[in-house]
Amino acid sequence: MPLPACISRRSTGSIRTAFALFLSLSLSAAFAQAPDAALYGQGEKLFKGNCASCHKVDVKMTGPALKGAKAKWEGKGDIYAWVQNSQAYLKTGNEMAVKIWDQYKPTVMTPVALSKEEIDAVFYYVENWAPPVAKTEVKGHVGPVDEGSNSWLWLVILALLFLVVGLSLGGVKRSLASAVSEAEGKGPLPETTRMQRFRAWAWEHKVFMSFVGLFITVWVILALWDAAWVVGVYGGDEVPHYKPEQPILFNHTLHAGKADQGNLNINCQYCHSSAEKSKHAGIPSLNVCMNCHKAVSAGRTPEGTAEIAKIYAHIGWDPDKGQYTGKEEPVRWVKVHNLPDHAFFNHSTHVAVGKLECQECHGPIDQQMDVAEQWSPLTMGWCINCHNVKEVKMDGNGYYDEVMARLEGDTVLGHRELKQYLEDGKITVKELGGWECAKCHY
Amino acid sequence: MRKRDAIIGTFALGLAACGSNPNSPGVEYMPDMYRSPAVEAYVDYGQDPYYFTEEKAAEQRERMSARKPVNGTIPFSMDADKAQFNMPYPYPNTPEGYEAAGAQLTSPIAMTQATVDQGKVIYDKFCQHCHGATGQGDGPVVNNGGYPPPGAYNGPLKDLPEGKIFHSLTYGRNVAMGSHASQLNKEERWLVTHYVKYLQNGGKLQREPMADAGAATTN
Repeated sequence: MPLPACISRRSTGSIRTAFALFLSLSLSAAFAQAPDAALYGQGEKLFKGNCASCHKVDVKMTGPALKGAKAKWEGKGDIYAWVQNSQAYLKTGNEMAVKIWDQYKPTVMTPVALSKEEIDAVFYYVENWAPPVAKTEVKGHVGPVDEGSNSWLWLVILALLFLVVGLSLGGVKRSLASAVSEAEGKGPLPETTRMQRFRAWAWEHKVFMSFVGLFITVWVILALWDAAWVVGVYGGDEVPHYKPEQPILFNHTLHAGKADQGNLNINCQYCHSSAEKSKHAGIPSLNVCMNCHKAVSAGRTPEGTAEIAKIYAHIGWDPDKGQYTGKEEPVRWVKVHNLPDHAFFNHSTHVAVGKLECQECHGPIDQQMDVAEQWSPLTMGWCINCHNVKEVKMDGNGYYDEVMARLEGDTVLGHRELKQYLEDGKITVKELGGWECAKCHY
Repeated sequence: MRKRDAIIGTFALGLAACGSNPNSPGVEYMPDMYRSPAVEAYVDYGQDPYYFTEEKAAEQRERMSARKPVNGTIPFSMDADKAQFNMPYPYPNTPEGYEAAGAQLTSPIAMTQATVDQGKVIYDKFCQHCHGATGQGDGPVVNNGGYPPPGAYNGPLKDLPEGKIFHSLTYGRNVAMGSHASQLNKEERWLVTHYVKYLQNGGKLQREPMADAGAATTN
């Protein structure tokens, strides 16, 4: 391989290092201000692979910030020995080492197998590092579209326009008729109010008017009937979705959205981990937030940072000291999905056995729901419609082996009539009792 | 004139009722069908229609609905084979405990392709977003979120013994990784550990000898 400049002492890693060097060189050359881009690239690679899980460049995390560390150690001790094996170096009693240990103990730094040159490269990267320019926009944020109310307003305006035009045309027509009658010598038409004229006209067209009346009555009854169906329904196509403001403005899209749109793509069940084990999907307790937010105190926007600060306030975390203060305050989340008590619903049945995706009921929560909302109507009609068409996932589920054997068996246990369920080649939830009242109401 | 005002008023009221305030769930007829006195998780009983006085409602509202089990609680297991997973974890959350777990603790489950597959399912839900699909430490939280990258399973963490992996899952590790004990029970933690071992081995089942280099050479 023609890579003459890169023959290092560590022969096994040399080709990889050279390749990485070449890669990072070509990648970072454009924006790295560092004079020695090759060294910078090597340092970056080493830093990310060996140091970054505990050290940040500019702020302290598990260990101290690395910027300026080399200067601090200048003339006070052997920073290379300290980095390579801090516990061994601590035993020499070096003052600087003892001071840092006192600050960070009992966390032990894992010994790092880096050569002096490599450590130099890391510090070269650290000293020349500049904070990245903040991303201004996160893709995948699609707010709710407000078209509906607008088009409705235009319809009303149009109707009013027609009314005005119609009325003025009627006025013109009447003035003309009056003028004609005057010209014919019959004198002007008698002054009557609009209502009187309308009544007279309606009396002349009795049959037509009774049809119109019937039509309006039926229409009103139907409209009321339809409206009654969505009373107390907080989701679905018919009504505006229930979308309450939560005490902490958690952004579902950012956390669970697709990775290729710049989102974090965390599985729903990471936080709602009881969805496959319990009746409830569960609201994650704040310790789950802190699994990441111990290390992430800054959001992508100032508003986001303020929301993260709310988590800290509730769980009692002091981000400066990196400790819990013990002052806790439960978060009063607002419950979004509310089923009546007489309807039984179990998440684990649907997630673990039915293998439904969360989005099938909760909507595109990872795509366009910065604020969680009730997507589906959660009415009984909605439930049993799905039970009617969803196929039961029989494969790999021992419970259904017996069910399948009974369905397929000829005379076994006298279930011959069950064969009709297999005629269309699929077993729906309904066919296994998903429409029985007592499945959900007991 | 009165009549017309009344009609306009009714119309306006109707419009207001149809307005979309996302903070309001809307009309509830028969509220006892929505909120029953039977105890359920995540229900604000302060809204319960059965409590007529504001004091009663306020008292209910102050009650926490999600709580931690009492310290030292041991879950009940129907399956005798799984009872072992419910025993308390003996190693403390200290650097010494971490080393001790690494040296002594081994998986009570025999590692097979089946346990690795089960572990992968859990890994994809609970680990992948940081550690990456193949354990390179390049998940979307790291790539898109700028999170401190964890070490790669075929890199710095290649020789991490399973006891330490389990210990880290239980208590968390340093600042960047939190405890996953509230999300995964011990059996699930061991299954994930199997999958991590599998990734460390470069996608091979064979179990590595323990971290102890001496033990490896005597084989």
